[in-house]
Amino acid sequence: MRGMLMLAVTLLAALPSTGAQPGDAHINVPVPPHLNVTLANGMKLLLVVRPDVPLVAFNLVLRGGARLDPPGREGTAALTADLLSYGAGSRDAYAWADTVEGAGGNLEAGAQGEAILVRGQFLARDSTLMLQLLSDAVLRPHLAAAEFDKLRTRRIEELKAIKDSSPEALLGNYGRALLFASHAYARAVGGSEASLARITHDDIVHYYANELGADRATLVIAGDFAPAQMRKAVSAAFAGWRRAPQPLPPLAEPQRLKGRRVLLVDAPGAAQTYFWLANVGVARRYPQRAALQISNTAFGGRFGSMLNQELRIKAGLTYSASSSFSRGTVPGEFAINSFTQTDNTARAVELALATLARLRSAGLDATTLDSARAYLLGQYPLAFETSSNWAAALGDLDLYGLPDSYIGEFGSELTKADPASVSQVIAGAYPDPDNLAIVLIGDAAKIRSAAAKLGPLTEMLLAAPDFAPPYSAP
Amino acid sequence: MRAARLSALAALLTFGWQGGAHAGPPVSFAAAANQVSTRTLANGMQVIVWPDHNIPSVVLYNWVHVGSRNEGSGTTGLAHFFEHMMFNGTSRRAQGEFDRLLEASGGSNNAFTSQDVTVYQDWFPRSSLELVLELESDRLANLAFVPKVVENEREVVYSERRLRVEDSNPAFLEEQVQATAFVAHPYRIPTIGWPADIKSWTLADLQNFYHTWYAPNNCTLVLVGDLDAEQAFALAEKYYGPIARGPAAQGVRTTEPEQQGERRLTVERSGQNPLLLLAYHAVAADDARAPALNLLQTILTGGDAARLHRTLVEELKLAVEISSGWSEGYDPNLYLISATLPEGGSAAELETALNAELARVVRDGVTAAELTRAKNQQAAQFWRGVSTLDGKARLLGEFAVLHGDYHKLFAAPAAYEAVTAAQLLAVARDVFKPAQRTVGILQPRVAAEH
Repeated sequence: MRGMLMLAVTLLAALPSTGAQPGDAHINVPVPPHLNVTLANGMKLLLVVRPDVPLVAFNLVLRGGARLDPPGREGTAALTADLLSYGAGSRDAYAWADTVEGAGGNLEAGAQGEAILVRGQFLARDSTLMLQLLSDAVLRPHLAAAEFDKLRTRRIEELKAIKDSSPEALLGNYGRALLFASHAYARAVGGSEASLARITHDDIVHYYANELGADRATLVIAGDFAPAQMRKAVSAAFAGWRRAPQPLPPLAEPQRLKGRRVLLVDAPGAAQTYFWLANVGVARRYPQRAALQISNTAFGGRFGSMLNQELRIKAGLTYSASSSFSRGTVPGEFAINSFTQTDNTARAVELALATLARLRSAGLDATTLDSARAYLLGQYPLAFETSSNWAAALGDLDLYGLPDSYIGEFGSELTKADPASVSQVIAGAYPDPDNLAIVLIGDAAKIRSAAAKLGPLTEMLLAAPDFAPPYSAP
Repeated sequence: MRAARLSALAALLTFGWQGGAHAGPPVSFAAAANQVSTRTLANGMQVIVWPDHNIPSVVLYNWVHVGSRNEGSGTTGLAHFFEHMMFNGTSRRAQGEFDRLLEASGGSNNAFTSQDVTVYQDWFPRSSLELVLELESDRLANLAFVPKVVENEREVVYSERRLRVEDSNPAFLEEQVQATAFVAHPYRIPTIGWPADIKSWTLADLQNFYHTWYAPNNCTLVLVGDLDAEQAFALAEKYYGPIARGPAAQGVRTTEPEQQGERRLTVERSGQNPLLLLAYHAVAADDARAPALNLLQTILTGGDAARLHRTLVEELKLAVEISSGWSEGYDPNLYLISATLPEGGSAAELETALNAELARVVRDGVTAAELTRAKNQQAAQFWRGVSTLDGKARLLGEFAVLHGDYHKLFAAPAAYEAVTAAQLLAVARDVFKPAQRTVGILQPRVAAEH
């Protein structure tokens, strides 16, 4: 205890900015004090000192991500991210892997909808190596054509393999293509077999040159290090990084779907039907997020949720039924996810729809609301145990322009959320069951008529190389 | 250089570790064992407590010493079914009450079943400790068997089987390989159960299984987090103490007879990518060769610099992905090498290349650089494993139950550090014997066009 207290005092005295002051210590998760500076080239740096274990975690957030993929070439940002760690600086792909793994470290680059993240963790004593590798990856990647060819082929084959092993993992790709149509959120982050095949090596070089730059980057480092030295070392390692050629373009607001659209993805011989029911929800900056999380915890966010109660516990129709909000700079989707034996498809989907209708008509009783609140309060600290957790969380706050209080005051906000605000959120954020994009992956010969009853139906094969039927392909 | 890096890492694990953020001055990892205490209740239940005050939370793992290896013909999948039934009500609490009470007090829970054990997990705020122990002890002592609830859960489990096995080509192939590689030992049984058994267990089967295996003397309770050890022992005594000891657990008598000649099988299913799965008979968790085998696994498939990935995925491009590993259990289990081929790829060609790589390991062993890299990877992985309450609870339980003593967890870094290249070569020769393997190939059938 003494050690932690001393650290806080030191940082408060030495640093120009600190984390939010903890409110009620029993309710809130205090954000650790951190240094927050912007380098001359526009790159932001956040340093969180946590000396309890001799490890250093990092999270480099490169704003942009898959939403900047050229239309029809979805997967460009993802492949660019992949290639950052397949040879950079003085190391080819093998020497790179040998160095990272030889140090017992890890460094992974991957794309998300609105960013490329380069994340990892090294021993504190390898901090110099870590910064060298990280700056090489971002400033001096080889982007070798031969590595590009291999990776692109591998990603295409991996998508086919997912269809053979866990088709439910692709529901969101089909669903977002259906729901968001021409909006950037419609794009599959990893691309489809067809879009990956269209991507050229020039596309990667072009994406790297145009969409990465210091002024779009935030580096969070959390762990055991001396902040002044680390700040100096980071400044030196990234000093030569240029700004991106142009500012990040704005992201349009997606439109909510009116009425229904149904996509049936045919998986001949499938034992179950996997389904996804969604509409556009709310953004990350949604002001009533405490009430939102309470309502979704109660509706589909925990084992004892309304959806899991109805579909699994009472009816035995499925192993799992859940719901979630995907929230970005602009509203992503609210989606219900479940699956059931082929013969029970109509019954399970109707039960999910009826449960959504009941949430909207009856809301949550006081006991359920209090339980969901307690659940969130009890589970929240478990998300902030390690330096890696904090590097991820602070990078996420920065990406979406959120204050530290988003984490530090979440407990207080939960305690303040009242039945009226929860009712208001249910009415505003959850879709009317009549307005839904619906995806079913299953044996079409057996479930086609049930699917057609849900709304205007389009059909495609699971083995087809895209996540949308031909009419909406670019 | 590599040796220097290794010794620094070993020093870190030996001297630099504090055992939680607020645990006081640095102590050696081996000495961190002193932060852990254990009691055995009069009814035979072992309780292990590791206080860690980093966050105001507690993690509970209750390791019940029963898995699918304890099942027989007609009752396969029962251990896993109990993992489900244990959430479905007791003589004191109706179905759903367990989750309702736990979630309303800020806790969440889950469970998993393996061939060896069934493990119940709770993650909750420190203020809920007593409630959690009350709920956990209630379901250990007083499980209800309501026919309608059983029938419902039977469907849920079948849905899980469809998800995990029937709609998954890799899992389907693995089930077939496992059933072929073992002819006598119950590791041949799929943990989720054969479909016909899931459909036909009787209430009497369930009651018999429960009374045989769900007893305090067949459990290891692990508590890690923001708690006081004495208080935790007192609460464990209060809630578990009154539960009567059960019959002594019967071990598995069957040992697998030596395999004399390769076995092969082919599965044809709808899909796109061929799969290749090799299974070799390996060792038990408490075998002295286990650390060497884990290091060998790291050298073969642990990362992008690993041998099989470099050769078969990056250079020859015969596979899209290759992984390997073995299940550390009570009895010798299989070492599995699993590869996904590109669509249209040749399983025969991949198998030939894979065999050549394994033959090279058996002939020449591994290089000093590979061994050093693998040791560093293992040490870092171990380090990350003990960085969370959940990781600590999992590792303590694994060592206490499957390795026979939780103290072995604290000796593990030194055990890995001591492995020599000669020991790796020896374990490679023990395990990768062509006559003692099973080769499974999944050939996809193209889906019928409309």
